[in-house]
Amino acid sequence: MTYKVIGKRVRRVEDPRLLTGGALFVGDVNLPDMLHAAFVRSDYAHAKIISIDTSSAKEIPGVVGVYTAEDMGEAWEPGPPLVSPPPSLEGVTFNSCRQVPLVKDKVKHAGEIIAVVVAESRYIAEDAVEEVYVDYEPLPAVTDLEKCLEPGHTLVHDELDSNLAAHLVQNKGDYEAAKKEADLVIKRKFKLDRGAAAAMENRGIVVDWDQKNQHLMVWDATQSPIPIRNGLAGRLGLRTHQVRVVAPFVGGGFGPKIMMFYAEEMVLPWLTMKLNRPVKWIEDRKENFYATTQEREQVQEVEMALSKEGRILGIRQNIIHDTGAYDPYGLTIPLNTQSHSMGPYDIKNYSSELSVVFTNKIITTPVRGAGRPQGIYIVERMLDIACRELELDSRDVRRLNFIKPDQFPYDHEIIDQAFTNLVFDSGNYQPAYDKAIEKIEYDKFINEDQPRLRAEGKYVGIGVVPFIETTGVGPYEGARVAIEPSGKISAATGVGTQGQSHMTSFAQIIAEQLSVEVEDISLVSGDTAEIHWGTGTFASRGAVVAGNAVLAAASDVRKKVLKLASKILETPEDELELEGGQVRVADIPDKSISLGELAVLANPFRGAVEPGTEPGLESTKYFGPAYGATAFGVHGMILEVDPETMMIKIHKYVTVEDCGTMLNPLVVEGQIHGGVSMGIGNAYYEKLHFDENGQLQNASLADYLIVGATEMPHIEVYHQNTPAPNNKLGTKGVGEAGAIPVPAAFAQALENALPNYDLEITETPLSPNRLFELLYRQED
Amino acid sequence: MKVEGEHLFNGNQQQVWDLFRDTEVMAAALPGTKKMELVGENTYEAVMNVRVGPVAGEFSGQLVISNEDHPNSYTMTVDGRGKPGFLKGVGDVVLTNQGANQTLMGYTGEVQIGGKLAAVGQRLIDTVAKSIINQAFETLDNALEERGKAEAEGRKADYQQSSEGDYAATVAKDLIKNVLKRKDSEES
Amino acid sequence: MDNTYELNVTVNGTSYQETVDPRTLLSDFLRDGLGLTGTHVGCEHGVCGACTVLLNGEPVRSCLIFAPQVQGQEIMTVEGLGTVDDMHPLQEAFREAHALQCGFCTPGILTTLLPWLEENPNPTEDEIREAISGNLCRCTGYQHIIDAVKLAAEQMN
Repeated sequence: MTYKVIGKRVRRVEDPRLLTGGALFVGDVNLPDMLHAAFVRSDYAHAKIISIDTSSAKEIPGVVGVYTAEDMGEAWEPGPPLVSPPPSLEGVTFNSCRQVPLVKDKVKHAGEIIAVVVAESRYIAEDAVEEVYVDYEPLPAVTDLEKCLEPGHTLVHDELDSNLAAHLVQNKGDYEAAKKEADLVIKRKFKLDRGAAAAMENRGIVVDWDQKNQHLMVWDATQSPIPIRNGLAGRLGLRTHQVRVVAPFVGGGFGPKIMMFYAEEMVLPWLTMKLNRPVKWIEDRKENFYATTQEREQVQEVEMALSKEGRILGIRQNIIHDTGAYDPYGLTIPLNTQSHSMGPYDIKNYSSELSVVFTNKIITTPVRGAGRPQGIYIVERMLDIACRELELDSRDVRRLNFIKPDQFPYDHEIIDQAFTNLVFDSGNYQPAYDKAIEKIEYDKFINEDQPRLRAEGKYVGIGVVPFIETTGVGPYEGARVAIEPSGKISAATGVGTQGQSHMTSFAQIIAEQLSVEVEDISLVSGDTAEIHWGTGTFASRGAVVAGNAVLAAASDVRKKVLKLASKILETPEDELELEGGQVRVADIPDKSISLGELAVLANPFRGAVEPGTEPGLESTKYFGPAYGATAFGVHGMILEVDPETMMIKIHKYVTVEDCGTMLNPLVVEGQIHGGVSMGIGNAYYEKLHFDENGQLQNASLADYLIVGATEMPHIEVYHQNTPAPNNKLGTKGVGEAGAIPVPAAFAQALENALPNYDLEITETPLSPNRLFELLYRQED
Repeated sequence: MKVEGEHLFNGNQQQVWDLFRDTEVMAAALPGTKKMELVGENTYEAVMNVRVGPVAGEFSGQLVISNEDHPNSYTMTVDGRGKPGFLKGVGDVVLTNQGANQTLMGYTGEVQIGGKLAAVGQRLIDTVAKSIINQAFETLDNALEERGKAEAEGRKADYQQSSEGDYAATVAKDLIKNVLKRKDSEES
Repeated sequence: MDNTYELNVTVNGTSYQETVDPRTLLSDFLRDGLGLTGTHVGCEHGVCGACTVLLNGEPVRSCLIFAPQVQGQEIMTVEGLGTVDDMHPLQEAFREAHALQCGFCTPGILTTLLPWLEENPNPTEDEIREAISGNLCRCTGYQHIIDAVKLAAEQMN
């Protein structure tokens, strides 16, 4: 095939509408007769509800109703468990406690919904929320990860006998034996804390029950419309064809928009069916901090055994992971942490004990990185500490430990988030690392620039960190591709889009197969009416799983095109060419037929469609990988820190990225830039401050600091291509890569910049305040 | 959040003690108080308008006096709830005779806040709390003086509560003063 | 609500006369009242910049303005910048440089840049970063936006 579109920097087809204000986001949906919902949320993190007085709220003109759990009656049901471990897995303790639509007896995190107000306008609904009086009996809040497992501690869930949500141990090899051979054993405690995804668009949902047609229409800013459709149909006693869920343009997902089901997603459909009018709810920013899921909080004790050359003999780890008040997302995040705790290194012995605990805080579910940053952070920090103690160059030690190219596929013998064996499918780590070292001019910095700048009184440091990222996980995705009589192509897939450019990058795959322009392809993602089966956009899997389904469907359509054209043009298939929307006979350009004409002929009014064939030029195909594709990369940064103001400036930022085949390099770079900005936020600016009462103290963008243009460095992106062996595109995911290694690189660079301060960083996120405390040894 | 400080009153210890146990005076002293009633032996019910930066609203709650060691010290427990959130606190008040008709009042306490107040008012809470307390002391000083005068003149005392407008203006001034003080200060 | 206000305002060159609840935010008036949903609401406390529109040519946060405050004034939203078939060079540049991913923050950045580019036709990278420092973007890391602005500056001169 000579017509190449995959790998080109194609401009996006979705941009004109987005740029001119003509793209539909859920907040833009405006229906006649529409009502607005607003929620009464708990101020307390842990409290019994004594009574709820909705009488004065109900009297406000324009209020249609105020509802509590009692009003829901039999329709009240907790959300479904999403990814519980299979019962066949031995040695795993798992207590499933799922979030509820409206609180019945006890509030378990601040922000949980006690009642919902429905009114003619959002303004009136919010007025009425203030008039609902809830009588609480406050209870002590569970907030300390380590203390909450002590016997006699207050319980989040009274039906359990402790705050333990889950427990498992993963073992590879024999750590104790390895430890005995070690020349150095180091042990450290790490504290990792919460951050928010904070997409620019808050969540939202509009529902419309059509009583005459017995049909429920849902617009939802979700990353997974098909499971939402399936779940809602189940909960409401409807058939799947009675529910249509559309995820329109979504203003950023980053993970939390795939938590299913949020309380609001359970309450609104009930309301519209009860009231027989459309209902709209758009989250406001403060609610986003209280009610949209967060991630990253863990306490880890890590021990690493090494030889005096710096070879890692083994790692032992104890993780306490905070799942918040409920655990619908199972063990995904901490299993990812374990999968990444060995980094890209050949480590034969690993023992990791995981305890997941309930606390009275908002639920944790994946946020860009989804547990991977924590794993990379601890292994890289331990290596940095080991290098100092063994007096070895950190570059030599990384190189010594990398998994070698001939060791792939590398089976780590522990289970990953999909409950299958963790297998790294392919990799070539050393060249990527060497390239990063070269591009950041490591030697020149250490030998020339750093000493010169230090002499001028400037504190500059360098940090380079390699990492792996598991991507492209199953179970499957599907795609439908069809040629229309106009000759244009329509396509659909179930992975919703929140900025990942699916409408363009997937169109590139189709364009290449059918030799058409990208602009002639209209791809719908996120509409359950267009494709029936799918899961969603998460875990850096869109390009791998949906992309390969698109490829399979498009190449099947191509086969059908050639087969039919061969019959019509009375020429063998191997003498046919596809070009510019036409099928022509090679060397006889006049003998041709357009794709549109073929599509018409494939769907005849008369005659018969032959048995064993299908009408039209359409195909729906699915792709389900046995195991994921392991992407990898290296990040390096040079930063300057002012030990008086604690302000930092990143002078140079280099990334080397290997995500296999790139569909669209513009898109890949954009994903990396965006990931790095979140990573820098996670390293130094973003922290959610909860007090001991489970109260969030910085629930606004004024106090939760998202990185702006002046905090971001210019990022140099270099590529390497180690194709994924297990999918035809050879592609790996890259959506989360930008965020994963940043806190580890940042810590390394900061320590390198401040050698006189004897700094050892074992926590993240840092902040100017915290750095001040660490440098000047003040108490918390 | 810790709250502590002291204030020197121009009155003897018994006069200051009486002042603090006078419901009318307390209602006048705390800016934004709409209602304060003695409902039990040592229990008051109060309704207050609170404003901290962008967060404003009505709080209602209970104030309980305990551990009374007349006229030296007592403990005050506060539990208030309202649209802006909730507030719980416990504090000890200690009076010490300074001789020559002067009494030193010292207080230490812990206050916990939640809801909107905590979420968006966090940065301002410290300064606003100090401002409220300072304004309360000013009013109490005036009340003490007024009491003295009223007794001497044989009439009933007339306590002026500062208006909400004045209160808000004073808080704003205090916030600005605080920022300027930090800028000038040589401490980091 | 018995309390109403007669609002006269020009938006993107068209005059409107609407009866509004006086406490309606300008952002809601534009989006729900006039159906101009290109202006987005990200925080309603003036930090993220997604709601930025031009009021008499100056960028303002429409989430912090009440509709009656724009009586008799002129407003431009992103819909006034160009159409799908006839985009402004700034919009074209954004497309060329892949300066938007989810597109939610984009309208606010476009309106912020429009008057600024007229006054700064030849900006440096640092100046561009400073100019958009009041607009938060969670997707792009800002780099392609800066590329787009440089490209637009070239095209517009």
